[in-house]
Amino acid sequence: MQRYSEAEGSPTLPHTPGIIQKYIEETLATVLEELSTSDGRPSISLRRRSKKPTLLINPMNGALEGNGPESRLIYSWPGKSAYEAWKFTVIFRVLAAIAENLHIGLVVSRRDIYYSDPNLFGTQKVVDDIVDDVAYTVGLDRSALNVEAAAKGLVVGSYQLKTSSGHVIDTQTSAIDTLVPSLQDIDEITISDSNWVLVVEKEAVYRRLVRLGYYTKALAGKGILITGKGYPDLSTRAFLRKLNESGSRSNKNLPFYALVDSDPDGMAIMSTYKYGSMAHTSENGRLNIPCLQWLGVRTSEVVAGALHNDNEDEASMSLTARDRKKIVAMLCNSPVWAVEGPEPEWRAELLLMLMLNLKAEIEILYDRKDGLERWIDQKMAGHS
Amino acid sequence: MSKQYLSCGSADKAHSTDVFSLAVTDKQILSASGASALQVHSTIDPDFPLVQTINGAHTAGCHHLVTNGNGSRAVSVGFGGEVKVWSYHNENWSEDRTALAGKAGSIDTWAVALSKDGQYLAGVSQDGHIRVWDLNTGGEQIHDYETKGSFGTCIDLSADGRFLATGHENGSIYIFNTESGRMPFSLSGLVKPVRAVAFSPGGRLLAAAGDSKVIVLYDTSSGEQVANLSGHGAWVLSLSWSYTGEYLLSGSFDGKVKVWSIDTRTCVATHSETERAVWSVKWLPKIEKPEGFATSGANRSISFYREVTGA
Repeated sequence: MQRYSEAEGSPTLPHTPGIIQKYIEETLATVLEELSTSDGRPSISLRRRSKKPTLLINPMNGALEGNGPESRLIYSWPGKSAYEAWKFTVIFRVLAAIAENLHIGLVVSRRDIYYSDPNLFGTQKVVDDIVDDVAYTVGLDRSALNVEAAAKGLVVGSYQLKTSSGHVIDTQTSAIDTLVPSLQDIDEITISDSNWVLVVEKEAVYRRLVRLGYYTKALAGKGILITGKGYPDLSTRAFLRKLNESGSRSNKNLPFYALVDSDPDGMAIMSTYKYGSMAHTSENGRLNIPCLQWLGVRTSEVVAGALHNDNEDEASMSLTARDRKKIVAMLCNSPVWAVEGPEPEWRAELLLMLMLNLKAEIEILYDRKDGLERWIDQKMAGHS
Repeated sequence: MSKQYLSCGSADKAHSTDVFSLAVTDKQILSASGASALQVHSTIDPDFPLVQTINGAHTAGCHHLVTNGNGSRAVSVGFGGEVKVWSYHNENWSEDRTALAGKAGSIDTWAVALSKDGQYLAGVSQDGHIRVWDLNTGGEQIHDYETKGSFGTCIDLSADGRFLATGHENGSIYIFNTESGRMPFSLSGLVKPVRAVAFSPGGRLLAAAGDSKVIVLYDTSSGEQVANLSGHGAWVLSLSWSYTGEYLLSGSFDGKVKVWSIDTRTCVATHSETERAVWSVKWLPKIEKPEGFATSGANRSISFYREVTGA
């Protein structure tokens, strides 16, 4: 396996679905041709985005973006070692799986690919990394490869979906929470009588709010609750972005709020929704929600007693060594948390956590006298 | 009996984020914050002008900053874990890379204290270790006391350098004799996290405070609690003794600053110019009367106060 760096710049292939098919078919054909000769040494070359790009917030779209030298990886068979031969084989298998699915028009999940031969792939991450590299090499979204991670986000509330086949699904009539629908099946989302969108970090908190019917009973009126169950997947972010675009298209001032833990992961998850992920900077411009507002919870409020919690002593917890390392890494590596960056309040909150060695979870709001719902009511009122 | 301290100036928005730590010399006040630069203001000029900015001192910001008695040396600890030593020459602070050679930074040192002559640096780490380094021999480690592993939040050295005290997240307070390397007695400690410890100038008393909101005074010869100073309604984050040992200054999370008389064990003055956390309070050297102090915190500024005399 050779590796060398190229100058800055990303691939600029025209955005047509055919191009992927063409790329994969050509690659596979070349490999097969080479294999059929007596001493053939087939190879596959992939581009990979820079491991250490310079990250910046694009002032035009508020997305976390990166630039830096990309590298080109060339995998050949049989290669110099058993590892190279294996790597070549797994890439070949992933390409073949994508080609097959594109051919019959099916969407395949990364897990499907992995489970087609777990012994060969070893781990899910092997498949994920190859899919990312293939997408980057052809310069397209991972969704254009018809490869998606299984959707894990959940959503409930009032909106109408128009599917690609022309169906209209009105969630008002069903009013149960569903998996976040895949955008490939959706032509249009209409937000009729929702007044807000609340992104909840944790599934448990989301379920509690669903059970309480908060999406119909909030002081601010009807709304949409959504959770990515921790760090959100692409489908959840893409769906949220579609909601956001529908909201601004309909000239409805639809506010987007985030309810996350006051710990490094909670803050990083909120940042992923608002600015994008550190790992897939090339996709952030299509997925970020610049208008996302931070509802809470804040360690500073817990410490100040502003939450009037009945059992004050249990309200906050000590940071773990991992928490502290993660906060320091966030402060040092991402422009979102930079000193002169876009979120001075977020940065101040991270520093406060380090200073006091404390964090707090959303669940502490359960114990408030008025409960979680009234707290959200008040916070939303304060933001509008 | 109350005393009056009047605001006598401030360095407004001296930093772009919370000012976490103040350190004084006979003519300057140094400050550290969540931004990368350290700031130096003059305290001999009535307008407290900015006299030096040390840019890029700590990339992720700085949480502890201390000076020695005569102001020849300073030490700062950054959020990234790095410990830096600074020397004062020709009216200018610059980094002294030979003094510590980075040894204290690789072990999660959190709070630090400098001996009066600037030779010894004491630090307490996130895993509760208490260490002493000799800065005149390139930072050779001369002590390593192991405690029960609770996060060391604060540390102080007595003026004569003979005693070392630390406060911990689990409420523990330790006093070590730096000559014998032993703990002369165990202290009862506090119930909640300790955020500040400070020896009186004569070393007879140790003040400790934190989330229990009460300031406890210990007799350092016996380890007994000799007084409780109550009055703060929020966590106490910082303590400082006046140079005569007559008064103790405290700052808390709700923005209150209090002056306590050690004689009467009462609060003689309260200031509340902000409702946001006061991270650091420091008496200014009593070069000329009247006595004064400085405070800093979440309002990003440094505020100066002077005693009103002859009223």
